[in-house]
Amino acid sequence: MISIKKSLLLLLSLLFVLNNVFAQEKFTLSGTITDTNSNETLIGVNIIFPDLQTGTNTNEYGFYSISLPEGNYKVQISYLGYSTITETISFSEDKSINYKLAETTESLDEIVIKQDVEKLNIKKPQMSVNALSINTIKQMPVIFGEVDVIKSITLLPGVTNAGEGSSGFNVRGGAVDQNLILLDEATIFNSSHLFGFFSVFNPDAIKDIKLYKGGIPAKYGGRVSSVLDIYQKDGNSNEFHMNGGIGIVSSRLLAEGPIKKGKGSFLFGGRSSYAHLFLPLFDIDNIAYFYDLNTKLSYRLNDNNSIYLSGYFGRDVFNISDSFENTYGNTVVNFRWNHLFSDKLFSNMSLIYSDYYYGLNLDFVEFDWDSGIQNFNFKYDLKHYVNNNFKLEYGLNSIYYKFNPGEIQPSTESSGINPFKLTDKYAFENAVYIDAEHKISDKLSVSYGLRLSSFLRLGQDELNVYENNNPIIFNEELQIYEKAEPIDTENFSRSDVIESFMNLEPRLSLAYQINDNSSVKASYNRMSQYLHLLSNTTSPTPLDVWTPSGKYAKPQLLDQVAVGYFRTFKDNEFSLEVESFYKTIKNRIDYVDGADLIANNAIEQVILNGEARAYGLEVLFRKNEGKFKGWFAYTLSKSEQKTEGRTALETGINNGQWYSTAYDKTHDISLTGSYELNDKWTFGSNFLFQTGQPTTFPNGQYEYNGITIPNYESRNSSRLQSYNRLDISATYNPKPNSTKRWKGEWVFGIYNVYNRRNAASINFGENRMTGRNEATRLAIFGVIPSVSYNFKF
Amino acid sequence: MKKYIYILLGLLIFSCEDVIDVDLNNAGPKLVIDASINWFKNTTGNDQSVKLSLSAPYFDDAVPPATGAEVRIIKASDAVFIFTEEGTTGIYKNSSFIPQLNETYSLEITYQGETYTATETLKSVVDIDYVEQNDEGGFSGDETELKAFYTDPVDEENYYFFEFISDIPEIPDLEVYDDEFTDGNQIFGFYTEEELEAGDLVTIRNYGVSERFYEFMFILLQQNSEEGGGPFETQPATVRGNCINETNPENFPLGYFRLSEVAELIYTVE
Repeated sequence: MISIKKSLLLLLSLLFVLNNVFAQEKFTLSGTITDTNSNETLIGVNIIFPDLQTGTNTNEYGFYSISLPEGNYKVQISYLGYSTITETISFSEDKSINYKLAETTESLDEIVIKQDVEKLNIKKPQMSVNALSINTIKQMPVIFGEVDVIKSITLLPGVTNAGEGSSGFNVRGGAVDQNLILLDEATIFNSSHLFGFFSVFNPDAIKDIKLYKGGIPAKYGGRVSSVLDIYQKDGNSNEFHMNGGIGIVSSRLLAEGPIKKGKGSFLFGGRSSYAHLFLPLFDIDNIAYFYDLNTKLSYRLNDNNSIYLSGYFGRDVFNISDSFENTYGNTVVNFRWNHLFSDKLFSNMSLIYSDYYYGLNLDFVEFDWDSGIQNFNFKYDLKHYVNNNFKLEYGLNSIYYKFNPGEIQPSTESSGINPFKLTDKYAFENAVYIDAEHKISDKLSVSYGLRLSSFLRLGQDELNVYENNNPIIFNEELQIYEKAEPIDTENFSRSDVIESFMNLEPRLSLAYQINDNSSVKASYNRMSQYLHLLSNTTSPTPLDVWTPSGKYAKPQLLDQVAVGYFRTFKDNEFSLEVESFYKTIKNRIDYVDGADLIANNAIEQVILNGEARAYGLEVLFRKNEGKFKGWFAYTLSKSEQKTEGRTALETGINNGQWYSTAYDKTHDISLTGSYELNDKWTFGSNFLFQTGQPTTFPNGQYEYNGITIPNYESRNSSRLQSYNRLDISATYNPKPNSTKRWKGEWVFGIYNVYNRRNAASINFGENRMTGRNEATRLAIFGVIPSVSYNFKF
Repeated sequence: MKKYIYILLGLLIFSCEDVIDVDLNNAGPKLVIDASINWFKNTTGNDQSVKLSLSAPYFDDAVPPATGAEVRIIKASDAVFIFTEEGTTGIYKNSSFIPQLNETYSLEITYQGETYTATETLKSVVDIDYVEQNDEGGFSGDETELKAFYTDPVDEENYYFFEFISDIPEIPDLEVYDDEFTDGNQIFGFYTEEELEAGDLVTIRNYGVSERFYEFMFILLQQNSEEGGGPFETQPATVRGNCINETNPENFPLGYFRLSEVAELIYTVE
């Protein structure tokens, strides 16, 4: 504790000294940059002073601030798909200028789209980050024509998922639950619809996404693998507009417009899939659908204050011949207040409520099941533009969690099921952080920060007590782990702290610019994660529950180092990023063989704390401009975990040996591109190749009690066949030069063009009729054509 | 009950399945102990058998018997029952076995110079009260469902092993249940089969089993079932029963030594 306090003090005083050293007689230019038509704030707009060879860009709220010496300077303001503003400003005092950028109207002869938000910034110390604009995402071919944020990021280096129909994504050999997914700063606990076929983000309501794979700024914490930061649109505060799309799986509609012209706006978006689609096999009353609602109200009170209220509500609903009903989804409500203390100090306060609900009604066995997680989140973040060479970000974050691991209710009077409630759990997570971005010389930029996080597991009812605090006993004779019987239970009040953890998380990245178009970067980050998703299936399912760290499940601790080489060619027409990373994670939960996690009130009896490690090399080569744009990504990596016995007599899991995680893909290649033939037609294509995912096959069989049992080899020691697939799409704009308000486009796509039957899994079992052993391949999607129509007016 | 959730998740997938050839690794043979002492209610329970076999490569058509072993069961140190092999079938029989509820028994096997042992308790079971038939069951709405009701004794932990044997599939349908959420209630064992017709006979057996057997069988069934596997299934592993190799612990046997009272009901499909 003392060392933590000391180092914090040290850091603060260091920052203070630096602050003074770099302070000079300069004036500040600040303001907000928006779209002329919609008044939507723009993220990542470049503000460049060519004479001074300096510049900055707008933050997540469209705000910028830069310090300049006295004089007259030319300024260029540029952003993807927008006309650049060039003007001269004279400085003799601090100025606040809000710029409005107009979208370029593309003409046939001159199509120049610069993806500025995605542009490689070789000077900034931030590495291992990929940004995608929603326009890029929309041009990628996708299954059923459903534009999908999560699917699109799996085409980036270092990002994979466990296969078709699997929830979530894996970053640099990390698990699905190790990704922090933020929608307008609110945590999303489950990012998938229909068990992973679609993601929960309505593409029409999204502005930009940013994925941090390493070198993660101190602002973020609570998950160890990555941060996916997603920003929703604010809504058009000038005019009322609608847009939407009709596809074969779902339809979307989004309305936006002013509450008060130029000041306030609203946005309402809805998306729903069609019923029955996924269950065409049975001619009875089956229902399977999902829907999302996105809302946002924005209001600019004055130049220094803006407020936002945003919400998300999504559900998946399944109903199978009334005997099985399943509903699950996320709810998020979020209030934010942007306040400018001065032209150099920007602040944002967020009050967030989010929950994840999972409900099941099994009529044929006569019970209902409910589970979920609720949290209240307070964030206060400040950005301090001290001077052009020194920026500070600092703030705090408090989250209160309530976990409902499950409740069973008989659904009929005659039901043989007794009501049963798994014990609710409570926790409180707090963090303070400070992060500095510091330009030490023209060549060297550093960013360094520190996050102090703490986690308090709060009092609950019926906490099991075990002999010697050991909930899982190793049976030496049979060489298996067995559940220990609790010797007692303890009851606590909500305000008691059962267990507390505190971690200091240093973050460091540096960039050294070799010349105008190349740089090397390095980073180190330590992160801690206090929540665990309990899942021992190959792919997480919606009914997996989250559990907090406590007496038996320790927080996961990550250390990651990464180095990289970055280069742009031909004035940023091409860019190359090569990165290598190595990371280790302590206290990764692992499950003993056959652990049953569903409705388990004593998870501690089936888990052990292990470790994980991953390392790899990533290459991303991009063409950023012109009629043809796209990238080639290659990842060579290894992801493993190990759980040793707690004493020399125990075997641990998988005999205490390192074994491949289910998402270890040695080679991962993706090629994606789009080509604008003319102003009517645009074509897109993806090609993916991945090493088959690790799996466990039988290495023998035996007979027991009249059935044949496969006997399995050690965990994940075989692999499925390699995964590969080609997708194509074409977008047709029938009247590109129409001046009518209504604009429409058709998107045609073919997913898995050569109809490869990529195995999602191979199951081994006895044919019930012949009694013979078989290997059955489950392939989820063959060739799937699609068509959708998008419109706006 | 938990298993249904997995099955349902599996069914919802928009997918296609086909049988393929896979090259598998092959571990050497292990002794497989299928020592199931079944005391059917209202019988003496004197005739019992133990089946010994060896594990084999996964796609082999049959598994070889383990012959020439010495097999005996010791009843709480006051009686020893010697099981003798019928020819070279790997089936070892005894016709003077004395079953006693809640009594502890030990199994001793000597096979190819190695000694294998296990200890287990003979568990009691309640009767099957009645069977309910529903012809509009299953997920397609036209399967025949049977619910075999039994009444769980209150305030004690009970574990059940159900076997449904009909002539239609080659292999029996096995289920295990615990009473964690059903303690003291009338509850049922559940069987569903598409092709059952009026007049077909279904043999329903309910075995009383120990917690360890329940855990063992729970994992075994997850790994064996046709519906099993798939992205929502738990990672499979070698399942260790309650038998150990005293001579060479590394060469552990597979299978289980179970002793159960059995309630049996033969149901004629209506």
